[in-house]
Amino acid sequence: MSEPPLLLEVRNLTRRFPGVVALDDVNFDVLRSEVHALVGENGAGKSTLINILAGVLQPSDGRILVDGAPVVFSDPLGSQRCGISVIFQEFSLLPHLSVAENVFVTREPRRGPLIDWETMNRNTADILHTLNLDIEPSTPVSKLSVGQQQLVEIARALSTKARVIIMDEPTAALNEREVVCLLGIVRSLASSGVSVIYVSHRLTEVFSIADRVTVFRDGRHISTSPRNAVTEQQVVAAMVGRKLANLQRPVRTPGEVILEARDLTVDHGVVRNVSFSLRCGEVLAFAGLMGSGCSELMEGLFGLRKITSGTVTLDGKPLQINHPRAAIRAGIGFVPEDRKTNGLFSDLAVTENLTIGALPRWLKSIPAFLDPARERQVALEYKRQLNIRFSRPEQRVSGLSGGNQQKIILGRALAENCRILLLEEPTRGVDVGAKAEIYTLIDGLVAKGIAILLQTSELPELIRLADRCIVFAAGEARAELSGNDVTQEAVMEVATGLSHRVAIRDQALEVTNGD
Amino acid sequence: METRRARLAWLRLSPVGVTLLVVGAVFAVLTPAFLTLNNLLNVCTSASVVAIVGLGMTLAIASGNFDLSVGSTAAFAGCITMSMVPQIGVMPAIALGIATGALVGWVNGLIVTELRVPAFIATLGMLTIVRGAALIYTRGRDIYLFGKTDYKILSTGITPALLALAIALFFGFLLKHTRFGRHILATGSNLASARRVGVRTTYVLWSVFAIVGATAALSGLILSAQVLTGNGRLATGLELSAIAVVVLGGTPLTGGQASVPGTLFGSLLVAVINNGLNLLNVSIFYQNVTLGLLLLGALSLATGWTSKFGRMVSKESKERNKQAV
Repeated sequence: MSEPPLLLEVRNLTRRFPGVVALDDVNFDVLRSEVHALVGENGAGKSTLINILAGVLQPSDGRILVDGAPVVFSDPLGSQRCGISVIFQEFSLLPHLSVAENVFVTREPRRGPLIDWETMNRNTADILHTLNLDIEPSTPVSKLSVGQQQLVEIARALSTKARVIIMDEPTAALNEREVVCLLGIVRSLASSGVSVIYVSHRLTEVFSIADRVTVFRDGRHISTSPRNAVTEQQVVAAMVGRKLANLQRPVRTPGEVILEARDLTVDHGVVRNVSFSLRCGEVLAFAGLMGSGCSELMEGLFGLRKITSGTVTLDGKPLQINHPRAAIRAGIGFVPEDRKTNGLFSDLAVTENLTIGALPRWLKSIPAFLDPARERQVALEYKRQLNIRFSRPEQRVSGLSGGNQQKIILGRALAENCRILLLEEPTRGVDVGAKAEIYTLIDGLVAKGIAILLQTSELPELIRLADRCIVFAAGEARAELSGNDVTQEAVMEVATGLSHRVAIRDQALEVTNGD
Repeated sequence: METRRARLAWLRLSPVGVTLLVVGAVFAVLTPAFLTLNNLLNVCTSASVVAIVGLGMTLAIASGNFDLSVGSTAAFAGCITMSMVPQIGVMPAIALGIATGALVGWVNGLIVTELRVPAFIATLGMLTIVRGAALIYTRGRDIYLFGKTDYKILSTGITPALLALAIALFFGFLLKHTRFGRHILATGSNLASARRVGVRTTYVLWSVFAIVGATAALSGLILSAQVLTGNGRLATGLELSAIAVVVLGGTPLTGGQASVPGTLFGSLLVAVINNGLNLLNVSIFYQNVTLGLLLLGALSLATGWTSKFGRMVSKESKERNKQAV
């Protein structure tokens, strides 16, 4: 080996912001051809480190070395020249341009003053080929799935001859199948000599592909260890700085049937002929890949989509749900998947966000007048009950963490006095500590007799929460699993219609070996 | 309780409040005619005309919309009232004019909610349509009201100022203490979320547009009462002054927030500047330039402020956005 194995080194890096030390004397390094996972809760300093390595932020103190030589990244270009490429969580693709244009944007091959389309498309096709991505370089990016867009980002990184690719939560928006594919590509990148810094909340993924795992907490480096030398539990403990509460599903004793659906068809066939019953005090999960119809069914049950045939009965009485208002009135609450666009009022205060759905219940004796004292009291009540962390009820929600925002939306549904709660991806974009807390909260609600319909793409979450599970594929309910039969393997088997096991690592290795 | 809210509101208010004081002081020094009772009354009256429609506009902007048709609506309502005063009497004619404004506003709302045309385009279309309607109605001629001086009451003395103040109090109360007000802010903050929590966003928007139309009509009536003339060309460009005073007052154009007192101060500021420059014999052309500069200054200040707040709130996400660009 002629080259030193140490590709990138970060030594005693500190970054201060007014009032906060985002990174505190941090050390971090990347070897050649390794996948180095970086994990930590929100605010742990991961993003700050990424931004410093990307040249977006400058360190207040400390050094960065590439190939043993100190470097200073004064702007993103400088970092790119050293072979570092960052794929941010929010893609920076230009949706109306083609794949090739996106891959080579600002570095278009030219013939004289004009763009050399032929070379550009050919080079793009070559890179896409190495990624096993079968799309035309001239396809507009907006026509691609999120998973494919992610790969275009990677293609762009590769086209810059990147030696280190930093991926920030790369699987946040991907479905299970795309995740498997991406992990395979990350492995094959590493075996072809590119190093990857893999930043993720999802420890299953981290443990399936990383060579080493580094944990940050509160801006400090906590540990770096080879993957084989640590367990998931140890990493979680290092991330949150304490032992997490019981990670097992409690034993539950469901009560009466509260909601019963017979032969439901949503939107003329997006979901077809689904029947199920839901009891008080149980969690029933809808599982399925994207497009399987489970989220459409949830939306139908909340009046966001049309139920075109079939019946829903609540407490044995027929129920018409043609608008969210009807659902809310019937005691159905909804915690949407995408809280930023479909849940939060970021300009409004915590109080206002909590009470907005339940205002009719809290009017003063004169109709239509608000009762600020009562609202405030309710806000403080839910602050205590759900352990929401905010300093003042008048604070705007835009400044709160994802976990706290999610709890506010949960609190809002509860404030509507709901008896049935529809939860879509209840812990998306929420860090590990808050996740455990939300699980405990859900357990508490169920114990109080609330019935929960859950839709989640995270199988471990499904296993942790659900008593029963209906698996969907292509708009139909394909199987119902309950109790200990709810396993990741069983769910995936039905959801994909294949009898493959979900052991992501096996698949990832397969892809690597096939390369 | 609302310490933080209040502090923020005060911060937003303060640039326009401070500017108002400074500009007022400068004019007071430069020309003795400025600080006379009569002149201040003039300032108040012209401020009130813009303030009334500006207050309506504040609601529209808080609900995440715009109304560009207010100038035309003011003219149309003015003409209708003028022509009807001799036939049905002053008060019924005033009511009819305001109802006309509300109706035009409701149509705006219909176009926005039912045809799903963005408010900017919808009200731009209505701007020309209603202006045309006003000209058709008057056949392009002036409508004079000779001798009907009791109609003049609308524009004399402190009536306009009282009307503006009353509307401001009412809207302020609406936004802060009623469910309807909360629903306006929720709709403006996030339409999809508002629908999901059961807000009847369609009705909210209809009502808001109808209210804007009614305030525009009232402004138009005061304008026509000042000259006792109905004219299809009345209040040209009122939409821009209305939006200007809202922005000067610190209501962000992004919706979900509103500063009612800010709009009042914004209107006063514009009126003081125009009046002062008039007294100093500065040409109307320069007055336009001044108003434009003022608006740009206020906007850049406001965005500077917001981004500073934003940075304090979420440093990391902000930086990520920066990189994404």
